[in-house]
Amino acid sequence: MPDLAPLSALGAETPGSIHTGRLVLREISDIALATLALRNGGTAPMPFGLVLPGPLGWNPGNLAGAFWIAPGQWMISADGRAHTDFACDLKSAAPDCAVTEQTDGWAVFEIVSPEGAAPIGNLLERIVNLDPRILNAGAATRTHMAHMSVFLVRPADDRLTILGMRSAAASLWHALLEAVRGISAHG
Amino acid sequence: MLIPHPLLGPRDAQEFTYLGDARLLARPDGMAEGAEAAFYDYVYLRNNPAGVHRELWFHEHGDRSWLVVTRDTLTHDILGAELATDVVRRERPR
Repeated sequence: MPDLAPLSALGAETPGSIHTGRLVLREISDIALATLALRNGGTAPMPFGLVLPGPLGWNPGNLAGAFWIAPGQWMISADGRAHTDFACDLKSAAPDCAVTEQTDGWAVFEIVSPEGAAPIGNLLERIVNLDPRILNAGAATRTHMAHMSVFLVRPADDRLTILGMRSAAASLWHALLEAVRGISAHG
Repeated sequence: MLIPHPLLGPRDAQEFTYLGDARLLARPDGMAEGAEAAFYDYVYLRNNPAGVHRELWFHEHGDRSWLVVTRDTLTHDILGAELATDVVRRERPR
């Protein structure tokens, strides 16, 4: 058997991680993703006991988390399950919905602020043109960043998760790293 | 320019792409009498008002919904926005 080692979205054997002084930027390579869409006229299921949130909403859940991406559509995530066929498990949990595998389509990065909410707020002002009241803790949305489409999830005041196109992972990492370094250098 | 998305709040116009006149939602019935003339008008003719205009915008870097945005072409004031699906359900009752 060939000895194959999985690579992260940034092309390395271990996920990227940089501590810049005020913020920590790291790659999350083990999160499984799949989208769930209602069929026409369908009602929202509760896969894995998960209540699917409304617009701008995010629900961390227990076995899996979800955030709203469009009317009748959600992104479902499961920590540590990127190596499994998560979409198949989700389809079993929500057989009346359309399920699409997304793990291989996205690169997931996380920014953590040991100093609390303020540096994350400063960072958001620099990287996205979004009303700062929209992305409070517990919110998620899609927007435009560095000429790319990204999903932003704010699990807590002091952290931010960014999902970007996996094929542009290095470009997104570069844009985030520049912004994070700017915050650390100038506040 | 900010577009007041009915579900997601005020959003930068850069998140959207523009299509044009919202009358595109009123597609003629291809089987009806005079369908050819109706489709000629539908495909080729657009009003170009100086003033209030209803137009279609696609939330590409967002929830991928189509919006009907009412905009004043003289001042660029955005007077309102609603989901195109809601407009279609209201104006084309089945």
